[in-house]
Amino acid sequence: MLRFIAGRLALIPLMLLGVSGVVFAMLRLGRGDPALDYLRLSQIPPTDAAIAKARALLGLDRPLVEQYLSWLWDAVRLDFGVSYATRRPVLDEFLYYLPATLQLAAVALLVTLAVSVPLGIWAARHPDKPPDQIVRGIAFIGVSMPNFWLGFLLVMVFSVWLGLLPPLGKGGIEHMLMPVLAVSLMSLSINARMLRTSMLEAGGQRHVLYARLRGLSDRNVTRHHILRNALLPIVTATGMHIGELIGGTLVVENIFGWPGLGRYAVSAIYNRDFPVLQCFVLLMTLIFVLCNLIIDILYAWLDPRIRMFAEGQR
Amino acid sequence: MRIARILAGLAILALLVSGPARAETTLTYSWTANVGPLNPHAYAPNEMFGQAMVYEPLVKYHADGTVAPWLATGWTVSGDGHVYTFTLRRDVKFSDGTVFDAAAVKANFDTVLASRERHNWLELANQIRRTEALDASTFRLTLKEAYYPVLRELALIRPFRFISPPAIPAEGTADKIIAPIGTGPWKLAETRLGEYDLFVRNETYWGPKPVFDQILVKVIPDPNSRAVAFETGDIDLIYGAGQISPDVFARFQAMYPNKTAVSQPLTTEMVALNTNRAPTNDLFVRKAINHAVDKDGIVDSVLYGTQKRAAALFAPNFPYADVGLHPYIYDPAKAEALLDEAGWRRIDGEAIRAKEGVKLRIELCYVGNNAQQKAIAEVIQANLRKIGIDVMLVGEESNAFETRQREGEFGMIFGETWGAPYDPHSFISSMRVPSHADYQAQLGLPLKGELDAKIGEVLVTVDETKRRRLYRDILTALHEEAVYLPLTYSTAPLVAGPKLGAVGFGPSVSEIPFETYPPAN
Repeated sequence: MLRFIAGRLALIPLMLLGVSGVVFAMLRLGRGDPALDYLRLSQIPPTDAAIAKARALLGLDRPLVEQYLSWLWDAVRLDFGVSYATRRPVLDEFLYYLPATLQLAAVALLVTLAVSVPLGIWAARHPDKPPDQIVRGIAFIGVSMPNFWLGFLLVMVFSVWLGLLPPLGKGGIEHMLMPVLAVSLMSLSINARMLRTSMLEAGGQRHVLYARLRGLSDRNVTRHHILRNALLPIVTATGMHIGELIGGTLVVENIFGWPGLGRYAVSAIYNRDFPVLQCFVLLMTLIFVLCNLIIDILYAWLDPRIRMFAEGQR
Repeated sequence: MRIARILAGLAILALLVSGPARAETTLTYSWTANVGPLNPHAYAPNEMFGQAMVYEPLVKYHADGTVAPWLATGWTVSGDGHVYTFTLRRDVKFSDGTVFDAAAVKANFDTVLASRERHNWLELANQIRRTEALDASTFRLTLKEAYYPVLRELALIRPFRFISPPAIPAEGTADKIIAPIGTGPWKLAETRLGEYDLFVRNETYWGPKPVFDQILVKVIPDPNSRAVAFETGDIDLIYGAGQISPDVFARFQAMYPNKTAVSQPLTTEMVALNTNRAPTNDLFVRKAINHAVDKDGIVDSVLYGTQKRAAALFAPNFPYADVGLHPYIYDPAKAEALLDEAGWRRIDGEAIRAKEGVKLRIELCYVGNNAQQKAIAEVIQANLRKIGIDVMLVGEESNAFETRQREGEFGMIFGETWGAPYDPHSFISSMRVPSHADYQAQLGLPLKGELDAKIGEVLVTVDETKRRRLYRDILTALHEEAVYLPLTYSTAPLVAGPKLGAVGFGPSVSEIPFETYPPAN
């Protein structure tokens, strides 16, 4: 097990190196000059002299390879440079905005699990009856609706029409309700449907039939013999949902004025703020990879067959 | 009525005197980003409206284009226009208690000029030869040439405004400041990244004190979110170009008829016609284009009536710009006649005209993700097609677009003037610079050399009559040569929430006169 984890961890630096190269190249291959954006933000007329000066100021006048290597050298030492737009260290800003994003994503994950599991069980216990159809309806809407559109609809109903919830900003629970719902509805829908399917599958297996024959209560059978076995796919799906939720958070933050990484990154895209985008992609990759690793470990821990297989390979 | 007003005034006074019993009054505004460290001598990420709240100039630019005393009570100019001597106000202190005097002024000028190359986009930065503090309240500026727009450039929000000398680091203000301490009506009290900036009233301000206690500026990058925040009362004010989309503004105008306003023309949105390229090198074609585009149609259909139709390159409210030009009126028949006269004819009933086997086809370049420009481009395309000109729309990413502007790679290209207080002198000055669309567009004019010489002259002449005549010549020539297709005079929207009383516009795009805004009764 430890070897498995160590092996996976060892791959991460290589992966980050690859990602950094690709991102660096992609940003620079696009037509466009951050110096012009810098001048636009500064409201300085873009004369040739002004552009040359801005390029020198931003370090864009050096050869590409040199730019990449010096960036890489600094990045290894956790110095991701200075934002073109705000002139502040990128890592400081990233770490400043990260907690707000993680907070939103974590609450969304909790809500996803807390709502989808009961819904899935409820649907599985009444297949093709009204409860199942209700859950199917919710899932249908949830999966089809883009999160930013849902966000705007929520704002229109709860902030503009009813005046119940604040439309933007960070503060108490009332500020979180709408963004969390907008972010989590899709994952929640997928999860509920998936749990229903896998529970019905597990419910048809022989050990469940045997348990029922033994005279165990319905509740006991559902809990210990069906749900336990049906949960494994959910764990895998949750790993993917973490990515989905963080991704969704990035989009939704812009709508709800949530001071997190998403808004920071979107502004950086508009301003062609290369240092910010490079750091952003790299660190988000790291977060995803680590989350997936944790899920894999969890998976192995939950399912003895996988654990045995991994250990048997030694 | 008057008695009621006096009573109201006394009531307010009583409230003010009663002090602590009064609740803090806060005006909430929003901006796309935090205001930054508010270094008065630096550019991005310092937001200009924030710099204008904290720092003040020697002289103030007014909406009518004149310049009036501000931190300087007066000035004299030497006969040759090289030496400006300013008398400073004696009752001004920075918000940290430091006295504002000639030494402070000189310290600020010197730290700005220490990194002169950062500011040399502004001609004044190149023109200053010497700065002197003659005594506590007399400051002298010596120039290399008789550059006439000195006062207007001193009125700009940056870089020639004043920070308290103790807040200037030993190495100068080029990279950072110690604290944002100015003489203005507001002080920056708190910044929370990504959330808000809080300004509080400067209690030691020398001028009329602001009525609101605080200005809270929330960070809202998205125009739709801003509109929602206004409707729910989370912000009290929408002010400035680009804060909300024209359709939302039109809706607010209908919803709150007494709470919206449109500013004076700020800039001119226009299309530059390339005189150095066929077929726009033909004056008849350029004139025909000017007669064929239905600007009122554009204003009504694309801009929801929120902007004004433009008649010339500069709106007549700009200095020296009211020179009595005759606008090209919308008259497709006249446009067709002009094209016929120039030999561009429809052969065998074809929709597109041609001359000597060459079709009358022009590229119109716009910024691809600018929905408004695209919509306007489509109207122009339809209008010109009616008179037999085939317009090819080229929508590109903004950087590629700017490269075309600089290199003259266009038949027609969108552009805009720079607004007060840069118009007309800075804008005209840039027409001599090859990396500008205007230079490229004018390159085909036989009188381009003469035009550039006149522009050079108008900036340094000390003779007011001569300056007027030169401006008249330049603007008339550009108009008669139809180098531009002026579309609209862009204006900024203002929507005030129920917490605000009567509010108005500042003299330039980025100056929001918060200090004059009263709360609603």
